[in-house]
Amino acid sequence: MSAAGAALRLRGGLTQRLVETARRWPTYMRVAAGVLALLVVAGLLANVVAPLDDTAVDLDHVLEGPTAAHPMGTDEVGRDLLTRVLHGVRISLVIAVLASLAAVAVGALVGVLAGTLGGRADAVLMRMTDVFASQNHFLFGVLLLVLFRPVLGGTGAIMLAIGFTHWPSLARIVRGELLSVRERPFVLAAIGGGASRHRLARRHYLPHLLPAVGLAFVLTVPHAVFHESAYSFLGLGLEPHQASLGNILADGQRSLLAGGWWIALFPGLALLAIAMTIGTIAEYWREHLHPRWRSELEL
Amino acid sequence: MLRAERISKSYRASGGHVVAVDGASLQLERGQRLGLVGPSGSGKSTLAQVMAMLLAPDDGSLTVDGDRIDVWGVHCRCELRHRVQLVFQSPRMAVDPRLRVGEAILEPLVASRLLAARDAECAVLLHDWATRVGLTYDLLERFPHEVSEGQLQRACLARALIVAPRYLICDELSSMLDVSTQAALLEAIAAIQAEQELGVLLITHDRVLADTWCGEVADIRELAARSGEGEADATQRHASARAAALSALVRGRQRRAMPP
Amino acid sequence: MSALLEVDALSVGFRTRRGIVRALSEASVAIEPGELLLVVGESGSGKTVLAHTLLSLLPRNVDVAGSVRLGGTELLGLAPAALRELRARRMALIPQSPASSLNPVRTLGGQLIEGARARGLSEEQARRRLRALLGELGLDFDFIGGRYIHQLSGGMQQRIVNAMALVGEPDVVIADEPTSGLDSELVETTAAQLQEISARGASLLVITHDLRLAQRLAGWIALLYASRIVELGPTAAFFEAPAHPYGRELLRALPEREGKSIPGMAPELTALPGHCAFADRCPDRFDRCTEALPDLYPAPDGVLARCFVHAAR
Repeated sequence: MSAAGAALRLRGGLTQRLVETARRWPTYMRVAAGVLALLVVAGLLANVVAPLDDTAVDLDHVLEGPTAAHPMGTDEVGRDLLTRVLHGVRISLVIAVLASLAAVAVGALVGVLAGTLGGRADAVLMRMTDVFASQNHFLFGVLLLVLFRPVLGGTGAIMLAIGFTHWPSLARIVRGELLSVRERPFVLAAIGGGASRHRLARRHYLPHLLPAVGLAFVLTVPHAVFHESAYSFLGLGLEPHQASLGNILADGQRSLLAGGWWIALFPGLALLAIAMTIGTIAEYWREHLHPRWRSELEL
Repeated sequence: MLRAERISKSYRASGGHVVAVDGASLQLERGQRLGLVGPSGSGKSTLAQVMAMLLAPDDGSLTVDGDRIDVWGVHCRCELRHRVQLVFQSPRMAVDPRLRVGEAILEPLVASRLLAARDAECAVLLHDWATRVGLTYDLLERFPHEVSEGQLQRACLARALIVAPRYLICDELSSMLDVSTQAALLEAIAAIQAEQELGVLLITHDRVLADTWCGEVADIRELAARSGEGEADATQRHASARAAALSALVRGRQRRAMPP
Repeated sequence: MSALLEVDALSVGFRTRRGIVRALSEASVAIEPGELLLVVGESGSGKTVLAHTLLSLLPRNVDVAGSVRLGGTELLGLAPAALRELRARRMALIPQSPASSLNPVRTLGGQLIEGARARGLSEEQARRRLRALLGELGLDFDFIGGRYIHQLSGGMQQRIVNAMALVGEPDVVIADEPTSGLDSELVETTAAQLQEISARGASLLVITHDLRLAQRLAGWIALLYASRIVELGPTAAFFEAPAHPYGRELLRALPEREGKSIPGMAPELTALPGHCAFADRCPDRFDRCTEALPDLYPAPDGVLARCFVHAAR
């Protein structure tokens, strides 16, 4: 083989790697990924898929059980529940993802600052983190909601409440990972090779931190879905007419007394499915995060 | 000449400082083979990292071919850092697990912008260095955990030599490896040395190896201006200090947790 | 009478992304009570896998074939509970690094007694036996008991883990790279202590890549290359005149001999050749070497060697 002519294939394509990864998934992972994909697509396409307007009131068909026309039944003002659940999935997922992103952003920022600045700044940031972590994060979220809902509106306030209460654990993880990776000999070797601070951060620290941050993000999403639902259920979140899963559940609770079990059941199932599928995927990911580092031969 | 003078370095530990290197002086000429022996924990690795400009000493001076080093680690000029290269004891720890072996070897050139990763020259250089250290070409596409310890150490040697250093410091290059791989690594170093007048500092606890391979052998215990700091067992000062710190911490917590 | 520990045609393969890694192929060794067997080879030759198979420490992605019998009991396929029991009472491991195998924030007394109780001794028995054992190793139990591991010197730490291994009066003691990372003085101490353990009547299996330690400990040697035992015989005979070309070339690579490396590298464990695995690097190679897989043939001095040179005998 001629040296110059040999094109060194140092990186496999991303798609190829993804397909390879998916091929190794056990059945439960495939099921979880499939169900989640279905929910996400249904949520995204809610306007297209769902046959009816989610706020269309139809007083002729109030509190009807599941029928062919309304597979999930209707609520106490005659809105089609399937339509509302699909919209609810979308609204809840979007809010949860954005709120988790906010949480991850705050956590990563605090963790990276603490880890890089060190010394007194590190101490101050981490004590601050401790103070936040020691609060009951649900009640703290309620406080934020009450304060900011008039300013930001329901959606914004919920994102703020979730984002601002779910970062401390991530900040600790990021700081710890950063401190540990900086001590590793391969970082010293890179410095000896002439790497700049910028390159160390980009080439060695960041790839080391990203899996932890990504995992934290995925683990936060189902949590955020529950929080959004809980706040909406308490009437602190979205406007009552908006079809978030929490709002529908709140309607469902009222209707239960009138015998309308389906109004609580279907949004509840959707909520459960979202949380369980994302949770399953996150757990699998967590378990399989490190084997690339484990030597297969030196056992 | 790589000249370290009265280098001192201590680490913080509970109840004071642990002195790792205490006023050590050492000189390495180009083309020389110098052995450095001493029990584990006697500060050989710390001295090596100082001499490779990776670790700032508390006291003392380092000059490389007349250039005095005032800034250390990442702040030091690339050109200076490249003059002295260090090969670490454990290759598994010394290679980023996310880089393929070939990428890891080229990393110093790319990091210091001497080459871009897609340059055709890279493939030539890589092939050349892989041959010199005895690596087959297919190993370069693997991840570190997919090759053996000996193969990885060969890659580490190639990574150190690819920047054409004037001085090479090997910190327990082969203590985890079998004798044949050790001999192969030393043969590769000797071949480069004959070509480029490389100064080699071989740190080892194998006195026989130092005596047979090196022209001169220094004992770290005799480099120090003053003797060590007393009662602590020299063979395990550092490890002990860490364990002691941990132990003190836990005992402190227990005391605090107990009711008065 | 059958041997105390009998390993028969043991093969171990790991299923990995790159295919099956044949870490050990048809290894057969036997250890009588009180014998010392050295398992020597480079990293990836299968020596650690052998030790881990004996201790049932293998991960899940593994296929094991063959047989391992301890005092007549087959270990492979034994129920986990029975295996744990057997391992606790009859086998012991001397860990690679004494300092990190003990808890740094607990005093040694509690840990030693706890270790002994795990081997089925009562508290009273444990105390008595530890006192006697440490006494024989030149240490005082009462002095040691109230201390932390880091407060002891390297040599004392090594003696503590040795005592811990011996307390259950195991039949087989396995030492995994007992000298890796130690300086020459500690290597000497460790070697002396391993010999002591052997002299007390336990069978000792020492996994090492350190040829000087091997020469110092004597006993029997099994030399591994590319997952197979290539030479099996008395250690003294091996260092005098190795029967297998790999052994001979390996000894030549010692700095005090010639310091000359063996050209090339060991074959990949995922793609072992159907012929002699050393043939490509062997200076004595002839046609047959690249055609067939050699058996272990008897060589002089009671040695077995996997080389066609000895096939004629």
